[in-house]
Amino acid sequence: MAAQQEPVATFKLVLIGDGCTGKTAFITRFLTGKFEKNYRATLGVEIHQLVFQTNKGPIQFNVWDTAGLEKFGGLRDGYYILEQRAMAGIIMFDVTSRATYKNVPNWHRDLIRVCEDIPIVLCGNKVDIEDRKVKAKTVTWHRKKNNLEYCDISVKCNHNLEKPFLLLARKLANDPNLEFVEMPAFEPPEVQMDPTLAAKYEAELKQREEAACSDNDDDSDD
Amino acid sequence: MAANVLEEGISKKELQPEASPPDIKAMAEQFLATFYQAFDSDRTTLGQLFRPESKLTFEGETYTGPEKILLKYISLPFKQVVHEISTYDSHLTIDGTLLIVVVGRLKTDDNPPLSFTETFNLKQFGDGLFVMNDIFRLSLHNS
Repeated sequence: MAAQQEPVATFKLVLIGDGCTGKTAFITRFLTGKFEKNYRATLGVEIHQLVFQTNKGPIQFNVWDTAGLEKFGGLRDGYYILEQRAMAGIIMFDVTSRATYKNVPNWHRDLIRVCEDIPIVLCGNKVDIEDRKVKAKTVTWHRKKNNLEYCDISVKCNHNLEKPFLLLARKLANDPNLEFVEMPAFEPPEVQMDPTLAAKYEAELKQREEAACSDNDDDSDD
Repeated sequence: MAANVLEEGISKKELQPEASPPDIKAMAEQFLATFYQAFDSDRTTLGQLFRPESKLTFEGETYTGPEKILLKYISLPFKQVVHEISTYDSHLTIDGTLLIVVVGRLKTDDNPPLSFTETFNLKQFGDGLFVMNDIFRLSLHNS
């Protein structure tokens, strides 16, 4: 690999969502970037620096992962704005637990209250599990919101792990054609995602997006 | 007197700390061991340490009575938790209750350790010692 270039841009990204949805497991699968684990005990935050190689140059996300604070109550506002105001967000829920999906609007509200217009990706984790409670086609809440996209992921199977970062990078760079020129390195998957299941979910999502395009002129984009 | 202290310092003799009464310390220690052991192994047993007038303030939210307090404790969504007491202090209050302030660390699931402080006010009823006040905060400095 060529010598690492300095990132052309760095963004603080907050990783939020209910406890036990897989946030820490998600972020620790990445082996890319500087990978300097940085635990700030007084903030209760671990900051992971991930660098992605894009066709516009390397970009860095400083991902703020809580040390389980959300298990004790809401996050305090400082989490979103300290050191640097968050410029992107990932809200995670567990597709096998409806309660974690029901809390998504609360997380979203807390985040945009302090960081108004930032791009956010909603991630439904654990889609490898057969007994899925929140189906891709029922994840509709985000469609009426600006700057919010959805993606199915499976941390265990390394399924779609880079996708939320790609969607956010495109928004942040204001360039829908931005691509990663190098796949980030991951820890090996714990289990293999069933390819038929993955294809089925992709098809469902696509179908839903197409349906959304044709029937929702009421969704204002700006 | 105060001015002299500032100028001349103070001898160890003049400000000798008092030894804490051994029975108070032992009572506090025993209570803390019971409480955190129950918390870490089986939270459903915590209810019996509270009375109808007892109050819990957990991260700024207050609950009264054993049922509500227990519900709050068992609703915390971590699967595993380990409390570690770093230090504690206790007083016998003028009302005859036992006041304990704990500084410690806790670890939930796979998360790194978090500092906390917890204050208890305990009162004897019959043979039992009950928690009348329980105030908990994570020690975070992020506002």
